[in-house]
Amino acid sequence: MENLDTVEWEACLLEPVRNPETERFLRKTVGIVPPGARYFLDSPWLCGAVAGLGQMPMLYLSADLGEMVALVVSQDNSCRYCYTATRGIMKILGFPERRIRRLEEDFLAADLNPAETLALTFARRVSRAAPLAGNADIRSLVEVGYSPAAAKEIALAAASNVFMNRLSTLLALPPTDADLADRWWVRVFRPLIAQILRRRAAHAIVLSPEQRQGPFAEFVNAFDGLPAAPRLRSVLDQAWRSPALPARVKAFVFAVVARGIACVPAEREAVRLLLAEGMTSEQIEPALAHLAGPDLDPLEQSAVALARESIWYRPAPLQRLARSISTQLTRLQFVELVGATALANAVCRLSVALEPADSPA
Amino acid sequence: MAESPVLLLAGLVLAGAVALALHRLRADRRRLRRRIDAATTELQHLQLSFARFAPNAVVESIAARARIPEAERREVTVLFADLVGFTALSEQLDPDVLVAVLNEYFVRMSRVIGEHRGHVAKFIGDGLMALFGALEPNPWQVNDAVHAALAMQRALVAYNAELASRGLPALRAGIGIHRGTAVAGLIGSDALMEFTVIGRPVNLASRVEGLTRTHHVDILVTAAVRDRLDPRFVLDELPAREVRGVAEPVVTYAVRGFREEGDQSLSRTGTGTGRA
Repeated sequence: MENLDTVEWEACLLEPVRNPETERFLRKTVGIVPPGARYFLDSPWLCGAVAGLGQMPMLYLSADLGEMVALVVSQDNSCRYCYTATRGIMKILGFPERRIRRLEEDFLAADLNPAETLALTFARRVSRAAPLAGNADIRSLVEVGYSPAAAKEIALAAASNVFMNRLSTLLALPPTDADLADRWWVRVFRPLIAQILRRRAAHAIVLSPEQRQGPFAEFVNAFDGLPAAPRLRSVLDQAWRSPALPARVKAFVFAVVARGIACVPAEREAVRLLLAEGMTSEQIEPALAHLAGPDLDPLEQSAVALARESIWYRPAPLQRLARSISTQLTRLQFVELVGATALANAVCRLSVALEPADSPA
Repeated sequence: MAESPVLLLAGLVLAGAVALALHRLRADRRRLRRRIDAATTELQHLQLSFARFAPNAVVESIAARARIPEAERREVTVLFADLVGFTALSEQLDPDVLVAVLNEYFVRMSRVIGEHRGHVAKFIGDGLMALFGALEPNPWQVNDAVHAALAMQRALVAYNAELASRGLPALRAGIGIHRGTAVAGLIGSDALMEFTVIGRPVNLASRVEGLTRTHHVDILVTAAVRDRLDPRFVLDELPAREVRGVAEPVVTYAVRGFREEGDQSLSRTGTGTGRA
């Protein structure tokens, strides 16, 4: 757990860019161009991922609990950008400052019911992945009254924050105005904004046969029926289709994160994708064991180094590593490497929803 | 009628007293809030500091005064470092100088170990025990530990240069590294407790550190470490030696350095004292 004031944070690694087409897309899907997205508008898939994962439609999870999950996970990941943004949203939703502070100080002692406390503990466990959360953790939630689908939505909420935290931290996005929610013009529109934020998905969505295919299908299919599942499918598909980075680089990033948190199913899938790219097991294993080797090109070497450091980190050293890597890549390559790293961290932690036979011990 | 001004005055006095009491109450409340905030910040700083020495879950359990988490078996890499000939040195130097030299050595070594994802579990006289993979799972712990050992030797070369400029003798450190499954948990009494690991890997790592004197080398690793090590580390196999508490003679490997891809030069160890 980190106090916001103690978090060392580097200057932003990127300059903002303009891209009218992506800005239009964000306005249409999110309602605004999020301040952080202005730094990577040149990557349509990453903006799509922010829209898809940052605004995940939820069927069971209330906006209030969703934001409490966001606060706890962002605080645990020392993400100043997400932490500040989440605080603002909580104020708009009507959380009194005192209640937010109690949650920050120690959510276990905050005025929450046992089910909410367990949900936040579970979310933090999914995020930490030390050790990786498992099916038993889902069962604990079911025992206090959550349905299995609702428990999976909490895992999705935690993972989407893992994604946003890594993205914001790796790029050292400058935190937004902490007092934004208290400005008079925001206060005037608070009830309307809160109503929009509280809107839930209307019904369950079953994945089509086509949506049940693709990279990390097993992970997406575990959430079939939840409206977030097609979003996750789309984000993964777009990530793999984006031409800025070779598929091999992306698969290596996922494989390294999977090995780092001992997520066997994710590593198995990443290795399958590497084999599909023409690599052999004899090339892949030493590269994963030592994060180096003659079969890794310079881009892949940078990617595995960044992926490894992104698993458990302190923001400033991670940001300094990211900055040194950014000098070796094109801007778009760097942006998408950061995006792939953030996505890998989120997806690998979703193994919590896999059936026991597939989930790690 | 004469009672009205008295009543009015009494009412005013009463209202004033209530207002004053309310004002004081508010001030007390603000003061209390500030104290709570300060205490909370202090606790968070403490938790943050402790998190460098024990897993987050353990720190939070202690902070919440909850049940101490059960000990568990964990794959760890253990690094022992000890200063060679420090007892003789301690007899030559002024106690204040000796302590300052030793403390600065520990600060530098701890920094290097932290930079390589390890943490110092304890200082033992002029030695230290560092663990890799004890706080969080780390499949790359063996490479991290040996890289840390090489970096420690480089840091010692730099420190020795500074000591020489102050007219102080050079330090020499032997480092032993072993890997295995150990029991990790909070160990100690109510008054003094530490998160550490116990078991055969710890004992053997300590013995291997002792063998650096027998073999006259800076860094020694066991076969268990070598088996998981990046092949770019350059190792020399040394003759097996018997060590206390182990039935079979122990084969060790001296770490000569690390060869970068496509680079023929060796990023090597060496304290500048002509040991290795």
